[in-house]
Amino acid sequence: METSFISSCLDCKLLPQNSAPFTKNLGLLLSLIFLSDPWDPELMSQDLLFRGRVKQPARAKATIDVIEQLNHFLWDHGDIAFGPLGMLLQENFNLGEKKKSRKNKMVMNTEWLLRDLNGYQPKGCPWAHLSTRQRRFSLLGGTVLGEEVENLLGGLLHEELETRWKRLLLDEASTGGALGWVPGAKPHHGQLVYPTGRAHDQLNFQKVKLSPTNEPQALGDPSHILLRGPVRQVVTRTIQGEALVAVRSDHHCALWKLEHRGPPEPLQVLEMEKEATGISLSPHLPGELAVCTRSGAVCLWSPQHGLQQIHKDPETFVFKDPSSWRWADFTAHPRVLTVADRTGLRFADARAPSDCGELLFRVGAEASCQRGERVLLAQYLGTPDPLPLSPTLHLVCTQFSLYLLDERLPLVPLLKWNHGLLSPPLLAQLLPPPYPEAPLPLLLGGLGGHLRMLHLSGSGRTPQLAAPPQSLPSLIDSLPGFPVLEPHGQQLLQERLRAPLTGLAAVVPPGCPSPTMLLFQLSAAGDVFYQRLWLQPDTSSESAVSEPSAVSWKPRAVACCRRWLKTLLQVPPTLPSWTPPTFSQHHLRWLKEENKGKVQEGLRAAMAEGRLLLQGDLAPLPPSDPPPAHEPFGTEDKLSERLEASWERKGAIWWDGQRDGSRLPRKRQSREKRRTQLSSSFSSVRSTSDFSDVNSPLPHPPKTPSPLHRMSETSQSLELSQELWVKNIPRERRQTLRDYLAVLPSPDSGNCSIPQFQNPSSQSLSTSEPGKCSVPCSQNPRTQTLFSPLPESYSAFYSQNPNSQSLYSQNPNSQSLYSPEPAFNSVFHSQNSSIQKLPSRHTPSLAGSQPLRKKPRMGF
Amino acid sequence: MDAFSEELMGFVQKDNQVEASKDPVPEIHLPWLSQHIQSTGSHGQKGTNFAQTTSICLNFIQEALLKHQWQRASEFLQCYLQTLEDINSQKRQMAPEIIWKLGSTILYNHPKSNVETFSAFADRMKNIGVQNYLKISLQHALYLLHNGMVEDAYRNLNQAESWRYGEMSASQEKLIKLIQAYRGLLDYYTWSKKRTEVSSFDMDGFATNAATQDMHSYFRQASVNLHEIIKIPGVWDTFVKSYVEMLEFYGDQDGARQVLTDYAYDNNFPSNPNAHIYLYKFLKKEKAPEDKLISVLKILHQIVPSHKIMLEFHMLLKKSNKEEHHKLGLEVLLAILDFSGCTENITAWSYLAKYLKQIIKGKHREWVQEGWSSRKDWWPTFHFSYYLAKKNWKENRILALKKAFTSGILLGKGCKYFMYVSKQGHKIREKSIKTMKKFVMKHNILDSEEH
Repeated sequence: METSFISSCLDCKLLPQNSAPFTKNLGLLLSLIFLSDPWDPELMSQDLLFRGRVKQPARAKATIDVIEQLNHFLWDHGDIAFGPLGMLLQENFNLGEKKKSRKNKMVMNTEWLLRDLNGYQPKGCPWAHLSTRQRRFSLLGGTVLGEEVENLLGGLLHEELETRWKRLLLDEASTGGALGWVPGAKPHHGQLVYPTGRAHDQLNFQKVKLSPTNEPQALGDPSHILLRGPVRQVVTRTIQGEALVAVRSDHHCALWKLEHRGPPEPLQVLEMEKEATGISLSPHLPGELAVCTRSGAVCLWSPQHGLQQIHKDPETFVFKDPSSWRWADFTAHPRVLTVADRTGLRFADARAPSDCGELLFRVGAEASCQRGERVLLAQYLGTPDPLPLSPTLHLVCTQFSLYLLDERLPLVPLLKWNHGLLSPPLLAQLLPPPYPEAPLPLLLGGLGGHLRMLHLSGSGRTPQLAAPPQSLPSLIDSLPGFPVLEPHGQQLLQERLRAPLTGLAAVVPPGCPSPTMLLFQLSAAGDVFYQRLWLQPDTSSESAVSEPSAVSWKPRAVACCRRWLKTLLQVPPTLPSWTPPTFSQHHLRWLKEENKGKVQEGLRAAMAEGRLLLQGDLAPLPPSDPPPAHEPFGTEDKLSERLEASWERKGAIWWDGQRDGSRLPRKRQSREKRRTQLSSSFSSVRSTSDFSDVNSPLPHPPKTPSPLHRMSETSQSLELSQELWVKNIPRERRQTLRDYLAVLPSPDSGNCSIPQFQNPSSQSLSTSEPGKCSVPCSQNPRTQTLFSPLPESYSAFYSQNPNSQSLYSQNPNSQSLYSPEPAFNSVFHSQNSSIQKLPSRHTPSLAGSQPLRKKPRMGF
Repeated sequence: MDAFSEELMGFVQKDNQVEASKDPVPEIHLPWLSQHIQSTGSHGQKGTNFAQTTSICLNFIQEALLKHQWQRASEFLQCYLQTLEDINSQKRQMAPEIIWKLGSTILYNHPKSNVETFSAFADRMKNIGVQNYLKISLQHALYLLHNGMVEDAYRNLNQAESWRYGEMSASQEKLIKLIQAYRGLLDYYTWSKKRTEVSSFDMDGFATNAATQDMHSYFRQASVNLHEIIKIPGVWDTFVKSYVEMLEFYGDQDGARQVLTDYAYDNNFPSNPNAHIYLYKFLKKEKAPEDKLISVLKILHQIVPSHKIMLEFHMLLKKSNKEEHHKLGLEVLLAILDFSGCTENITAWSYLAKYLKQIIKGKHREWVQEGWSSRKDWWPTFHFSYYLAKKNWKENRILALKKAFTSGILLGKGCKYFMYVSKQGHKIREKSIKTMKKFVMKHNILDSEEH
């Protein structure tokens, strides 16, 4: 009888076309753990890629927007960008110190320059005026400053973006997966081991009780250990009754032994200079591991015998490939390992270390590989349990296909299947048969959350596919099962469910009346989901007519999901990832005396508590003109009106009303449009004359007009284009033209980004003292409110927010990850004796725990 | 990932041009790259509506296949046929193969499909374009074989073989060879059927003669084709076996031996343990001298030390007169037990226990020490741990006793495994325990090292 697993998390009512021939299965989904941090969607291609029209239209190409990024950097971190250069030049400038005399000819007195700057009006100020001194300085220094910054920073930024882009395309760090299952002493108990935390640096051990019929239950709070780096891979194995957990971080690898009672016992920690890329636990000898690093070295490691280098070769095996990724696993012989790189797989013998073992797999003709195909994952499929399959099987995954190889018959794959995953397949697991003589399920998981299941039967000891491969429901497929939410919540939920899949652990609970399989999935957001799959006889041969899918969620799962969702929605909405710093210290200084004390007080209080500075902490804002109202006929207005109407289910009425009274406004609207188009086309001509690759600006009326921004852009283009004008325009007319330009509405802000990059000297002036713009600032109180853009204060806000803590007390199922775990204090103390490198108890510094996007690492 | 640097040429032209020219590394191809680029919105080739709809349709089909929704997939496939008229010539050329792959998978699994439908589909697809004729014919034939329709399959292969289009390309040639080989295999199948018929015949000479002649003609047809395919480097176990069987039947022992030797020892062929096993079995049947058998198995021992035929090899070596063979005999046994699949192989353990005894009595203790030296750091945990002692004793007492004896010899009387088993054995008054203990006390290699 051919059998296959099927399941679905979908409610059949919500998904009409769910007409699989296998039905009657119930799937359910439950989150056991919920991370406190708001899920921060990872870096997207949109953040890095050039969005404008690229000159070569022939092929779709990815072009990284270095200029835009550099421009942002110069704006936001002018001190970092220009600081070192300023330090170098400091000797040659007298900034008002008395010691530096005028005798030295190399020293320039900047007193007047500074004075000019003191009254400096930032870009955008219509009354901006450049003194001759300033102009001279910027003309002389501009090239030097500009070139230096361009060369140094540009190179570094380019490199950084390149690595980010590579990681975005193929995030090899999470190869192998960071979710492990350790079976317990009793048959239906076990532990899940997985990382959580913003930096994935908290290793959790969650006890789980399985049940043959009901859903698994989390027993108590997870105990946790705080590590120094992000956990990339978790490997678990039980050999000879000893349950071991190995963890790979970027520069550390660690090994724990799990006792049935009591906390995990740390065995040893290994520190590596180069980044570790793979770790695996021996299926033969307890406590033996294979570790490999980016240097090309592969070591056999055991707490008793220490490290033994088996293989070291910085070059790739078959042909030259730039990737330094390596992977190591075991074979049927406990002393022989397999070492993988992107081009192939080869044996490495621990008894006679050499760099040229026999090849087991190579990207080439034997496996009829495609052009550009590379090894992404290699895994030894043998286990100590006697399986129906031969213990000599190895799995190799590339971006296109899956290969099964027998180590006795190298190079020629026994089986090849095109998996069709649209994300790198970095997770795989072979499971024991759900009942004797059933085919063995082999799971394959892509980083994007897609799952494939193959059924391997070992009749005659050669592996065969017992049934056509299947796809399993991914997390996002469970979306229709959730209640309908408001758009914001819906988006939050969607993002959360779409988070990359970073761990996969499947369990076949022993002694179930009907064969079943539990599938735990860890997402990058820190959620652990599970689904239960039932084994069903293959009914496809009997009738083509599919029965209606009888898939539904169990009530308990529904309740659990709702609780999870509730907690998720209670998390404060994520702030925009970056807002330009609008806080102005200068403005504070200019406040009246009576306000000053209050402001300082508020500031201090906020700093002491480490939270965001809110408007309420500051004094009431200086009286100012009300912000300009909405453009009466802007598109947003209509949209929001219409939305409001449709929320109240009066959309049709609104529409009718619009149709009747639309003529007059339309006229005015078109006039408005023409005006903006005119002005923007003017500015675009101006800018494109200088910079040929500027995309044409999109004419769109300014939303909430922010004089600060708008004007800065105009005046900036004014400054920039000055050089050209000087040649062509009579002197007496320049001022008039300048005034005229200053009054013009701004072009799209995207335009001005490139000029800023091109003229960093004026940039350095503007960023050195960003706050001295009293006039425009007071016009728009909105830009003054402090949206702290700094990541530090941002995360501090969340970790200290009493609300986010109280979430846990409300939710019995989501465990308090932050509550100090008394059991673990002792662990840390006991580690002193045996561990070389202790995982520190310190909370990692906030900056370190940030996703890198927030704080670009520039090598400074 | 140098694709990336090339792509940046628009910005940093000169640098990357140098880099691209000096480094002609083939790039990694990421099928999900286009998705990433498309997600940035305005950038990238948008593609026509036609291309979009077909690609969406293809996704639907693949999804349905992976969910085993054959009916749904077949409905989508009907729409997908439009790709055959794609304006993009590259896609148009690829289309028949994709359709064939999808369609054959659907028809293979669809509960309502039958051989006629499949054949009709295959015949249609063969003749769209010219590139896929041979491939589809071969797969069609295999499908027919799978359904037990040998004659149809044969006819199909025959037809495919005679098909010609233009000049033969390299890939075509390979496929033709493969088709011929399969035809040869079917000829062999008929031949062996005839052979059983002839042997069961109890008729007059004339009928037998005619049948034998008939058989012979099949042999000739098959041998030509099979001989061709096994010249090409590859894994051709089935073809080689049938070819050798026919050669043997007609008494061409030299030919058969030659074929098997070439298959085993040709360096162009991928390493294949089966080739050595076939050769060994053939030689054994031929009653070849033991030295020859040993030399064949020696190579197999180097390739696959864990093969079960190695136990036979051990016996051969044991019987041999040469001392070096005796020494190798121990190594062969130890090598078998190195492998995780053989840890509970009771035959191997009992051979080892017996052989150790024999060696020690024969005063070759240094052999044991030599073999042990490379294993002493991991065998104790791999074979002789306390956990395994308990487990083996519980599951298989004889195995436990054999292992305990070996562990006692190799690790001395203080070994956990030995102690546990002898204690348990003492409890139930197992007879052999005493003799075992006595021997171990006297002869374990640990104590003898100290002396």
